[in-house]
Amino acid sequence: MSSPREPCRRIVVVGDGQVGLVAAIALRQAMPASQVVLIGQQPNPASFADYAQTSLPSSNMLHDRIGLEESEIVLKAGGSYRLVTRYQGWGGLNHEGLLSYEETLDPALRTAFAREWGGTRQLGQSDLRQGSLAQVLADAGRFAPSPPGSPTLLSDVVYALRWNTQAYRNLLIERAKTLNVQYVQGTISAVEPGHDASIAAIVVNGQGRIEADLFIDCSGPVATLLASHGDFAMVDWSDTLPTRTVYIGKPTSPVIALEDRISLGEEGWLTQVAGRDGLHTILGTGEGVARDEALAALGAPAAAAVQLTQGRVAEPWLGNVIAIGDASARFEPIGPYNLDLAHRQIELLLEMLPGRQIEPLERAEYNRRSVMMMEAAHESLARHFVTPQASSVFGSRPVPGRVAEELDQFERRGRIPFREESPLSPQGRFALLLALGFKPGLPPTAQSADGGSEERARQEFAQRAQAAVEFAPPYAQWLASVTRQTPVSV
Amino acid sequence: MSRGISERTEKVRVVVLGGGTAGWMTAVGIAKLLPDAADVQLVESEDIGIVGVGEATLPHIRGFVEKLGIDEAAFMKATHATFKLGIDFRDFGRIGESYIHPFGSFGEELNGVGFHHYWLELQRHGLARPLGDYSLAVVAAQANRFRPPANDVSLASTYGYAYQFDATLFGPFMRDFGLSNGVTRHEGKVNEVERDGVDGNVTALMLEDGRRIEGDLFVDCSGFRSLLLGEKLEEEWEDWTHWLPCDRAAALPCTHATPDIRPYTTATAMPAGWRWQIPLQHRMGNGYVFSSAHISEEEACDAIVAAADGEPLTEPRILRFRPGRRRRSWSRNVIGVGLASGFLEPLESTSIYLAQMAITYLIELFPTDGKIDPRDRDEFNRLVDMEYDRVRDFLILHYHATTRDDSEFWNHVRTMTVPDSLETKLELWRKAGRIEKYSDGLFYDASWIAVYVGQGMLPERHDTRPALGNAQQLAKATERLREAISAEVAAMPQHDEYLRSEAARVAEVA
Repeated sequence: MSSPREPCRRIVVVGDGQVGLVAAIALRQAMPASQVVLIGQQPNPASFADYAQTSLPSSNMLHDRIGLEESEIVLKAGGSYRLVTRYQGWGGLNHEGLLSYEETLDPALRTAFAREWGGTRQLGQSDLRQGSLAQVLADAGRFAPSPPGSPTLLSDVVYALRWNTQAYRNLLIERAKTLNVQYVQGTISAVEPGHDASIAAIVVNGQGRIEADLFIDCSGPVATLLASHGDFAMVDWSDTLPTRTVYIGKPTSPVIALEDRISLGEEGWLTQVAGRDGLHTILGTGEGVARDEALAALGAPAAAAVQLTQGRVAEPWLGNVIAIGDASARFEPIGPYNLDLAHRQIELLLEMLPGRQIEPLERAEYNRRSVMMMEAAHESLARHFVTPQASSVFGSRPVPGRVAEELDQFERRGRIPFREESPLSPQGRFALLLALGFKPGLPPTAQSADGGSEERARQEFAQRAQAAVEFAPPYAQWLASVTRQTPVSV
Repeated sequence: MSRGISERTEKVRVVVLGGGTAGWMTAVGIAKLLPDAADVQLVESEDIGIVGVGEATLPHIRGFVEKLGIDEAAFMKATHATFKLGIDFRDFGRIGESYIHPFGSFGEELNGVGFHHYWLELQRHGLARPLGDYSLAVVAAQANRFRPPANDVSLASTYGYAYQFDATLFGPFMRDFGLSNGVTRHEGKVNEVERDGVDGNVTALMLEDGRRIEGDLFVDCSGFRSLLLGEKLEEEWEDWTHWLPCDRAAALPCTHATPDIRPYTTATAMPAGWRWQIPLQHRMGNGYVFSSAHISEEEACDAIVAAADGEPLTEPRILRFRPGRRRRSWSRNVIGVGLASGFLEPLESTSIYLAQMAITYLIELFPTDGKIDPRDRDEFNRLVDMEYDRVRDFLILHYHATTRDDSEFWNHVRTMTVPDSLETKLELWRKAGRIEKYSDGLFYDASWIAVYVGQGMLPERHDTRPALGNAQQLAKATERLREAISAEVAAMPQHDEYLRSEAARVAEVA
């Protein structure tokens, strides 16, 4: 007869950035009879996941799960909507491409798209928009999310949220308080080892000793707890990911837009996240780019510059310590992969929530999947640097994992091999490669596809797109109408 | 319309060797999905019988049939097919015990915790009904009821279905379909295989009557003989007999013993293997899959004749096979599909699935310019390996997770060393009630849970969360689910009634 695991009596979460807060809330909700203690050691800005203004659409589900409503984020935390990310300059000087997140695309349309793309290199000229409603709506500047439970013509449009990090963090703090997450302000001054290479307790400056059964390390790149473990080791990503310095700009004037941008320039890459609290700019540069050149390219006053050593921990769960987010992997913030990784690791932790006694095999299974997640993020970034344009800016780089196979299959066959634990769906990866300027090959079946079915798919999509555009309100107007009564103070 | 850069006017000449299930599925798949890229010829001989494996299938076959534009009704009628909701395993974990491995889920995940953890908690309090009571597919199967699943997110959508059909009719059906879709058929036996002296590729098949069939790509569907991949290219064989000792089957088609037609396959463990019962519209398929190291063919034939319920329609027919696979299914310009590439015994009806996946991957990786890129070949072999390894571990589990000690055979499989990949999965389940997760390949959480629980292999510990609430309330909530399932099933027609009511469409049942 099976009996339930004895629950952890107390779980300590270290780091009260937005990653640690979400972890603490999620754990507290899952384990109402256990104490969850959050150690208020706030990660520094080098902890990209903790300072991200946005994530991928899958984070919306985690928000739902921890009781953080989308309307709250919009009304109280400067929330806004992203449908697409515009990639500029990756496939050549004037090349542009759009990444959206839809899962379903008529294969006939995709084939038609690949075919058309084979003939015309300028993506912007395509009327097909990859069959993505999100791209059509973003172009038209029209969108409103469907109210929960009442489907509309826009229900299938997949979106990501943005927010003001301070206000968002305040929402999380409120939620954590409501749930009785205990809070201890201070930094860790000592880690006290226990049996079996585990931690028995930590000592927080001026607050004394805190024992726990499980420790979640959300302290950012310093990985305060995990790095104290005897088996701690890093896997270096410097060879494959070239960025060495990340310049974080101060937010400039607010921008209301359905798109964000990721562009490649002479100095490096530049991301622009359109926030109601301002435009957030980050620049990443490789070796040998002078500081003043970089600051000029940033195009905004610099708030911080971070020297980056990229890599991941060999095993994110050692003993009774589990590292989440930047404490487990540090990599350049081209797109919201840092926070997406942290959120998916939290989901994994919830799925595999251990008891007081940790089973070595469940730790191994958690590590297997968490490492797959980290490596999949690594590969997502590496895709950017294999473009000829990026190679000329950053120097040519070895290609990690199965990226070379994926590119080869994409370019010759328009095929994306399945990957476990990837941040993007196969279709998302297809869209990303297009946005980066890679040219899709035709799948073998396309040689025989009859033009009729492609034409039908094209017409059906055009009709759907037109109906959606007519139905959707102008986004800026809609956003103003819902947020009018609740100005955001930043 | 412009055809892009990979336009090519000359078609790749595909030669399929063998006209069994795999051969005709391959020929039809390529001819139908790549009509402008490939020219398909098939060589078969009426003198060579077909094994006709896979009377029972997995739900994936529906996708294949649909993709080819075959009408489900016409297909079911032609192959005397019935619907299948899962497999009833009897006497595997222990004599006298049984469970159904359904095409569907058990209960619902709650707060992100798998239903089986709640079920284990209820069981601890003596409040659980059998796990299958919380699965719509299982309850429907037990009640001999069937209706196609709903296409929404309701309870009625929580299952899938496959077909049970007459495999000796499936090949001919696909043949007719292939012949009307551009496949050229050559009747004859291969006398000689012509190969290129430089690269070793197969260039042509010489038939006994002197005809020479040239090709660019050869698909070996010659069954266990594996004439091209095995005999000619000598592609290495990886033997799995030590884990899957069954290497023979005694097949015995019978009449139906009862008017009911079960919407599921039955697998009953026997002293030296197991026997199948696969209900078709017009008869019951029977057979004993056994290990020749443990009983003789004569004993197996006697045993199946004694065990079968209906009247035998023929003498028992012996099939011989070897569990395992070629190290590479695609070597040079030869691709093995079906038994020529490998064989895993029919315990979970995976034969046709494995052939289907090989065909799907071949079409995705098809050399449209006529030149085989080694990268495509490697990718194909990687995918085929992944499929085989996953199925292999799952099959071994059925034998290993047992308390049976009543025969040499069961003593062997109970005590044998299993592959490390399976041992890890077993330990994770034993210690923590968790399933190693993957999203590619075959058999996910619900399948593993069905077999673990069904064969009496309960974990030592389950998730802590189900114990946080009140067990009585949990019992009430699951009881509501069970009642909803019962009501849903009660509203379904009997399987044989459904076949009859749809007779004009799918059936020839009396």
